[in-house]
Amino acid sequence: MFDKILIANRGEIAVRIIRACREMGIKTVAVYSEADRECLHTLLADEAICIGPAPSTQSYLNMERIIAATVALKADAIHPGFGFLSENARFAELCQKCNITFIGPSADIINKMGNKSEARKTMMEAGIPVVPGSKEPVYTAEDGLAMAKEIGFPVMIKASSGGGGRGMRISRSEEDFEANFQNAQLESIKGFSDDTMYIEKYIEKPRHIEFQIMADKYGNVVHLGERDCSIQRRHQKVLEESPSVAISPELRKIMGETAVRAAKTVGYENAGTIEFLLDKDKNFYFMEMNTRIQVEHPVTEMVTGIDLIKEQILVASGEPLSVKQEDVVISGHAIECRINAENPQKNFMPCPGRITNILIPGGKGVRVDTHIYSNYTVPPNYDSMLLKLICHSKDRETAIAKMRGALGELIIEGIDTNIDFEFDILSNEAFQDGDVDTNFIPTYFPQYCKE
Amino acid sequence: MLKDMFKKTYTLIDTKYKRPGRSEEPSIPQGLWRKCNKCGQPIYVEDVRNNYYICPKCNGYFRVHAYRRIEMVIDPGTFEEWDKHMEFSNPLNFPGYEKKVQAAKEKTKLDEAIVTGKGRINGRETVIGVCDARFMMSSMGHIVGEKIANAVERATAEKLPVIIFACSGGARMQEGLVSLMQMAKTSAALKKHHEAGQLFISVLTDPTTGGVTASFAMLGDIILAEPNALIGFAGPRVIEQTIGQKLPEGFQRAEFLLEHGFVDKIVEREDLKDTLSQILKMHERKTPEECARLIREAQDEEKRVEELHAQDKKDETEKEEKGRSSKKNKEEAEKTAWDKVLLSRQADRPAALDYIRAIFDEFIEFHGDRYFKDDGAIVGGIATFRGIPVTVIGQQKGKNTKENIKRNFGMPSPEGYRKALRLMKQAETFGRPIICFVDTPGAFCGIEAEENGQGEAIARNLFEMSDLKVPVLSIMIGEGGSGGALAMAVANEVWMMENAIYSILSPEGFASILWKDSKKAPEAAKYMKITAKDIYELHLIERVIPEKEPASSETLPAIAEDIRRDLDDFLKKYLPVPGEELAQQRYERFRRM
Repeated sequence: MFDKILIANRGEIAVRIIRACREMGIKTVAVYSEADRECLHTLLADEAICIGPAPSTQSYLNMERIIAATVALKADAIHPGFGFLSENARFAELCQKCNITFIGPSADIINKMGNKSEARKTMMEAGIPVVPGSKEPVYTAEDGLAMAKEIGFPVMIKASSGGGGRGMRISRSEEDFEANFQNAQLESIKGFSDDTMYIEKYIEKPRHIEFQIMADKYGNVVHLGERDCSIQRRHQKVLEESPSVAISPELRKIMGETAVRAAKTVGYENAGTIEFLLDKDKNFYFMEMNTRIQVEHPVTEMVTGIDLIKEQILVASGEPLSVKQEDVVISGHAIECRINAENPQKNFMPCPGRITNILIPGGKGVRVDTHIYSNYTVPPNYDSMLLKLICHSKDRETAIAKMRGALGELIIEGIDTNIDFEFDILSNEAFQDGDVDTNFIPTYFPQYCKE
Repeated sequence: MLKDMFKKTYTLIDTKYKRPGRSEEPSIPQGLWRKCNKCGQPIYVEDVRNNYYICPKCNGYFRVHAYRRIEMVIDPGTFEEWDKHMEFSNPLNFPGYEKKVQAAKEKTKLDEAIVTGKGRINGRETVIGVCDARFMMSSMGHIVGEKIANAVERATAEKLPVIIFACSGGARMQEGLVSLMQMAKTSAALKKHHEAGQLFISVLTDPTTGGVTASFAMLGDIILAEPNALIGFAGPRVIEQTIGQKLPEGFQRAEFLLEHGFVDKIVEREDLKDTLSQILKMHERKTPEECARLIREAQDEEKRVEELHAQDKKDETEKEEKGRSSKKNKEEAEKTAWDKVLLSRQADRPAALDYIRAIFDEFIEFHGDRYFKDDGAIVGGIATFRGIPVTVIGQQKGKNTKENIKRNFGMPSPEGYRKALRLMKQAETFGRPIICFVDTPGAFCGIEAEENGQGEAIARNLFEMSDLKVPVLSIMIGEGGSGGALAMAVANEVWMMENAIYSILSPEGFASILWKDSKKAPEAAKYMKITAKDIYELHLIERVIPEKEPASSETLPAIAEDIRRDLDDFLKKYLPVPGEELAQQRYERFRRM
């Protein structure tokens, strides 16, 4: 087991990891940027080291500094959290070269799964259903259009390196194809210096269903059920829940086994998520694999009772998985709301600033993962997520009720947040009926979706 | 405010998570990263290696060892080294010289400061020499000179091109005057190579200075340079000390040389192999029969494609023709000489580079007059037409103010004409036809232009062009402004676009001289006989290229199609004609005027 872990991240997830380490008796090192001197992770860790100025490219993405800090403070492992360097194959490789354990899969697997065209190919070869679309990457609108015609409209135009909705466009007909393709490609070139695109069938009324998997060094792989992340705004998740109302125990078994097979195909290790699209006829298609812990991992933790971060650390240190598939029981229902420093009335404009007053709700089945506190100043440099509010109850109905209550109790003053927006979602009848797909927000909250 | 308030206790020190004795501590292996000597940032050695030895952070170019450079440009397994070992001698008996060379040999595992040999670049055979700065700053001692001279001589004999990557501090002090003589020796070998009609490409890398700059490095038929490479005769420190002034930013860098006309093109390291390969391909000699075959094949292919599309095209054109013909007749009847003057000057009329890109398959642009400057008003380089290499030169106008500042509104300076002439002489050396695109209001009228000999430059072009031993074609695409236009139109044939003009003077100037009123320009245009039709009737040009609609970016593809067909005929007619006859034909063409 590790003696000391450096957390190459900030904010809520860094705090989450520090807590897990503390439970396991592992010392922690926080890294922080000049903007994060007062951030909770900096204050909470056993040791903290400044790794550069506020811009993340010079701090949380600065591999040299992070590695140097790890070596200097003699940490044996790095937990990358999510975002930043968590899916950076180069960083994983460097860790390995410097005799540091990277808590996550190997560089090779990150590479394989990070390249969406290649990931898709690998999955197809393993007989896992994928969305019909271009097997080969396309580079020009002309080739793309030919491909789109073959697949049949509507199609999704996606950048190979894209993510978070960037480099992604839906084309509904031949007429709007070229403009959409150019835009998506331009975004990708600007954002990721990559003009590789691919075209796939656009599935209408799809649900975003993802399966959490966990794998150890010894080839054991389990799945921990699904999360329904269909409530998205511009491909950014807003609210997640587990289990999904759309998944029957039989379907869960089939999809779960598929997810495990996908992970085994690539010899996966550590925590990962297989994302599927589920269409209205319950056909599911592999979308991509995330090779890291995810923001919404707490809902899985709540319904399975398994601490995913501790499990990650365990398997990274060479221990076998602590659970077998038959031990995994989904009990009750959990919902997570992401509370962000943003103003939904102003097109979700980020709203950094000082938090003058805060009250965190509590009670049975209410969990709050956050790094904010009274008088904390939210810096403008990073992601605007402030807090994750998770409610767990015996069924979906009571979980929704609990969440509505908790949102009502949650007070954050001084900056704008999306608390009311989350409340509106929970109050929506279609949501309460479980009738959701990834177009839920544009359908029911068009006023929040102006370009 | 929460600082030091947390009780950081370990609740589970002796848990089930047993901790075996510490394995190896984390450490950064030696040589995993190093500091960039340009930006000071830490960089991964592997990244540098995979990135052509360019700093991934600041894009600075590191010097490349000779064998690595060969790996970068020469096809794997094709390199055959020449003169690997040569007997060392110490011509001046300079004390300590032998020891110094010995130390350099041990450090670099090289025998001398240059590696020469033969290899292939994308399958094309070439002789190559690469300096290695680690060996006594790659200074040119007699062995370096000898290896270069040997390689060039062998290349001349085997009819192979030569590529030399220069990188040197200059002469080798320890060899005194013997080292100086290497400058003459290498230059003389290259002259023979040149006279034999063989290609020499010089690639200047950081740093190229002193006697190397003043000899083989600057003698390339084509001179390429790596970005930001220091290139100069006297070193910057010496200059600073001598003149007692601080030198400006960018002084003696590759970009500075490009601007001053001494470098054809700056090529990024990752593109070097492909650029070299393209240049080699463009210098593969083709017999007139081969050219004729290439044209025939391309024509057949076009015909085949055309037939495939014939039906849908026919429907389309029929429809279009109907609409157009009535419209066109009307316009044609109305278009006066002055209308054409205005049309020829329109800012959105296609410029030389538009034509070049529309007509030719490939084009590589070269810069500089090799004397003074690179003139933006003249563009030129090598293009391929149906696989046949040709030299193309154009007078380039801009489409907006910014471009026009760069292009000087298409008004060439003396250095522009000298650049054009340099490219024409280069074409002659390698037997390439020359195609000029003429589009200028006139030669630039200004103080500097006069200082640098505008008149001389134009005259020189008329003089030299009359005697070129390769086919020359000039196409007037817009304004043919007087001597400024003629300096690129001493050709075997001159063609004009239907809406181009060619005149002794602008109609405005004409009106103001003759009638003291430049507002009478429209009237002047009528009498001056400056439209393509008028000039054709005067038998001063050979062909009028029709513009169904005035040339624009929309109509250019169709116009280019027509020009390509006419070019086929031109090349088929002139390529088999011997050089002397071409010059004589050109002479007679003007003699009868």
